[in-house]
Amino acid sequence: MPSSYRNFRQSVPWLILSLEAVLIALFNIWFPYDGELMKSYPAFQDVNHMMIFGFGFYLMFLKRYGFSTTGFNLLLIVLGVQCSMLIDTFLLLLQEKNKHHLERLIEAAMSMTAVVISTGAVLGKANPVQLILMTVLELIVFHMSRWMNVTFLQVTDSISMMHVHLFGAYFGLAFSSCFSEPSPRTDKNARTPKSDLLSMLGTLFLWVFWPSFNSVLSDSKWRAIYNTYFGLAVSAVTAFALSVLTTKDGKFRMSHIHSAVLAGGVAVGYAAHSIKYPWIAMVLGLLASMIAILGSYCSQRCLNPPLKLHDTSGVHFTFGMPAVLGALAQVDLLIIKNWNNLSSLGYLVMIQVGAFCVTISVALLTGLIAGLILNLRLFKTIPVSKYFEDQFYWEFPHLAVGF
Amino acid sequence: MSSAFYQALTTNYFPAMPSALDTNMRFKFSVVALLMEVIIIVLFGIFVEYREDNNPEILYPIFQDVHVMIFVGFGFLMTFLKKYGFSSVGISMLLAAFGLQWGTLMQGFWHMQEGKIHVNSNSMINSDFSTATALISFGAVLGKTSPLQMLILTILEITIFACNEYLVTEIFQATDVGASMTIHAFGAYFGLVVTLVLCRPGLKKKHENEESTYESDISAMIGTLFLWLFWPSFNSATASGNVFYIKAIVNTYYSLAACTVVTFALSSLLDQRGKFSMVLIQNATLAGGVAVGTCADLSIHPFVAMCIGSIAGIISVLGFHFLTPLLASKLNIHDTCGVHNLHGLPGILGGIAGIVVTAINEENRRGNRLTPGMQAAALGSTIGIALAGGALTGGILKLPFLGQVSDQNCFDDSVFWEIPEEKKSHEIHSNNYDEHSRFEATM
Repeated sequence: MPSSYRNFRQSVPWLILSLEAVLIALFNIWFPYDGELMKSYPAFQDVNHMMIFGFGFYLMFLKRYGFSTTGFNLLLIVLGVQCSMLIDTFLLLLQEKNKHHLERLIEAAMSMTAVVISTGAVLGKANPVQLILMTVLELIVFHMSRWMNVTFLQVTDSISMMHVHLFGAYFGLAFSSCFSEPSPRTDKNARTPKSDLLSMLGTLFLWVFWPSFNSVLSDSKWRAIYNTYFGLAVSAVTAFALSVLTTKDGKFRMSHIHSAVLAGGVAVGYAAHSIKYPWIAMVLGLLASMIAILGSYCSQRCLNPPLKLHDTSGVHFTFGMPAVLGALAQVDLLIIKNWNNLSSLGYLVMIQVGAFCVTISVALLTGLIAGLILNLRLFKTIPVSKYFEDQFYWEFPHLAVGF
Repeated sequence: MSSAFYQALTTNYFPAMPSALDTNMRFKFSVVALLMEVIIIVLFGIFVEYREDNNPEILYPIFQDVHVMIFVGFGFLMTFLKKYGFSSVGISMLLAAFGLQWGTLMQGFWHMQEGKIHVNSNSMINSDFSTATALISFGAVLGKTSPLQMLILTILEITIFACNEYLVTEIFQATDVGASMTIHAFGAYFGLVVTLVLCRPGLKKKHENEESTYESDISAMIGTLFLWLFWPSFNSATASGNVFYIKAIVNTYYSLAACTVVTFALSSLLDQRGKFSMVLIQNATLAGGVAVGTCADLSIHPFVAMCIGSIAGIISVLGFHFLTPLLASKLNIHDTCGVHNLHGLPGILGGIAGIVVTAINEENRRGNRLTPGMQAAALGSTIGIALAGGALTGGILKLPFLGQVSDQNCFDDSVFWEIPEEKKSHEIHSNNYDEHSRFEATM
């Protein structure tokens, strides 16, 4: 066995088992009372589909990394949801509030979006130990930043949850900047038609269930659903139109479709409950899709090379930039709505902008710190030559033939 | 063997000719799509408003199911062609996303209140439904059209569909809860006429890319399974009231189950060595859901639903086996997905079942008695409007500047998509020789 192969037998099983033991023990100690049930089971089911099935397949576009993508996604989500429940319980105890168990499960599953998006940025470059530790760290930080937003800035629960895309994307980018870049000559991170089609399956699932995601915590559920529905539809059509316009010989590019069709859902998320007319949501969807496609063009050419960033699945323009757009749009809508009431306007805007800034700066800072810590030799970082390889982690019964 | 060799030879010696058919869509498609999108947003701004819902908690999960069927189910069902997966999934997503906005407007115009269209969960389900017609027609012309043509087809078809639906449900007061007639039969016959008008004599001999591979059949099976699973929701989504809703679910379920069993049996029976055919399993198993659509919420016994499902399975299998080749060779109707057998014939069967059931039982909906005459009128008008509308649309799609592909490049993703492939050059007809030698190696 060549020396560049890392053996994870000493670390991964023990890490997972001890983490699980700690979780079980803590669950036993903290047993909160149930509050009133406000949410429905189908909503939880939809969010779960998105997390486990949708994101599991969405990231499956690398030709030799399919096992790891779905496999690690499942592992991280189940670990992360338990972690998230605990952190949430702890914070609820601090705030002396009660929530129903199902509602907390929904929130835990939703906050996993941040982790999954961050994994997208380091896809193929981080080993399971790093990913698991990143999950725990990121969840703790995300809950802290959310808690700060809710307690100090009085942002509502549902909006503070919508920062999840923003947080995940920028945490992931900062985290990814600490990994060495893959060599530009490698073709291991290429796509194949088959892997792209599977990735499309995940994209469709995310797309279809996105209205549930945006509406589940919202007070005016219906409006959030309608707005997301129309926003997504427009961003899908725009994605196709712009993809043809920007590629070399007027053809669709699958990676554009994957990222830009979802951008509308991300952007509408912040203001989904408060937009009164569908056309506003539709314009937002159009802009989000534009940003995603132009962003993919710019970030590959101008942004990533000087910053030495390598963002495997393009989370920056799929989730990061549309989320920024959504946050700005929400502030805009607030200004328009409260135009006659100038005294409170400044305060409201300050709060929203403050929450946005807190989230993004916490994400960048902690992402960087987490990246620096987890790239110590202790954690068996994988060499650049072994990036994007399933064989590094998985058994292959049919080894090597045609692989 | 010799014919394959001949084909490989001819395509090698006459590679992609510099034809008048310009498939570069860079400006054509993007300008049309963006323009339509802007028009839709403006129309939405003028006409559309939100309205509070009556019973959202029930309707939203059903809407989700229908949504999954339209985007995942229909999209993946069409991925069975070996080189056409991207277009099948991608273009059907484009059509559905575009169609649901257009459908909201078109259906809304018939039900305006005080000059405004009200959007609620019912209208979301209905606009998803309206996109199904375009997706069914897409199945008939799959592989032979450009995205721009499909976009225009969607616009026209949904407009015509909305008119026909208004005629059937408001003027004839006929029942069609699972939309066997108004969606399935309509979409199928519309698509068949379009494909007849766009007929390509060059494709009479089977195109080398018009076949499936092991992997592509499996990904098509993903679509089948999702459609199968959620079909009860599709048929019950527009039922009016809790009793009818449950009835529609139960009847659809039994019908689908019976149809699936019959399909397996007949598929084995029709093969000389008793093997199953994946094409039939992918398609004919769903015919039961189509056929029971019209009478799903009427008071029929489960065994009636099962009979309808079985008959639908038989018709569909026989259609695939005998009728589709006949249509292609005698009438020049080249139906890529076999939508005639999955949606057309079972849709008509559903319409007839509706006539029979309303003749035997006394059924009332919205204070009116359902009469077999009106059901028959609904069926007739649907088929007639579909045929006429298809002919009109086909004529428009024949316009030469819409980016049709040449006969040679049909059923190939690489005309409209960037295909990631490392060792292969991006030329369209570069791999004929490989195919041929692989074929020889297997012989």
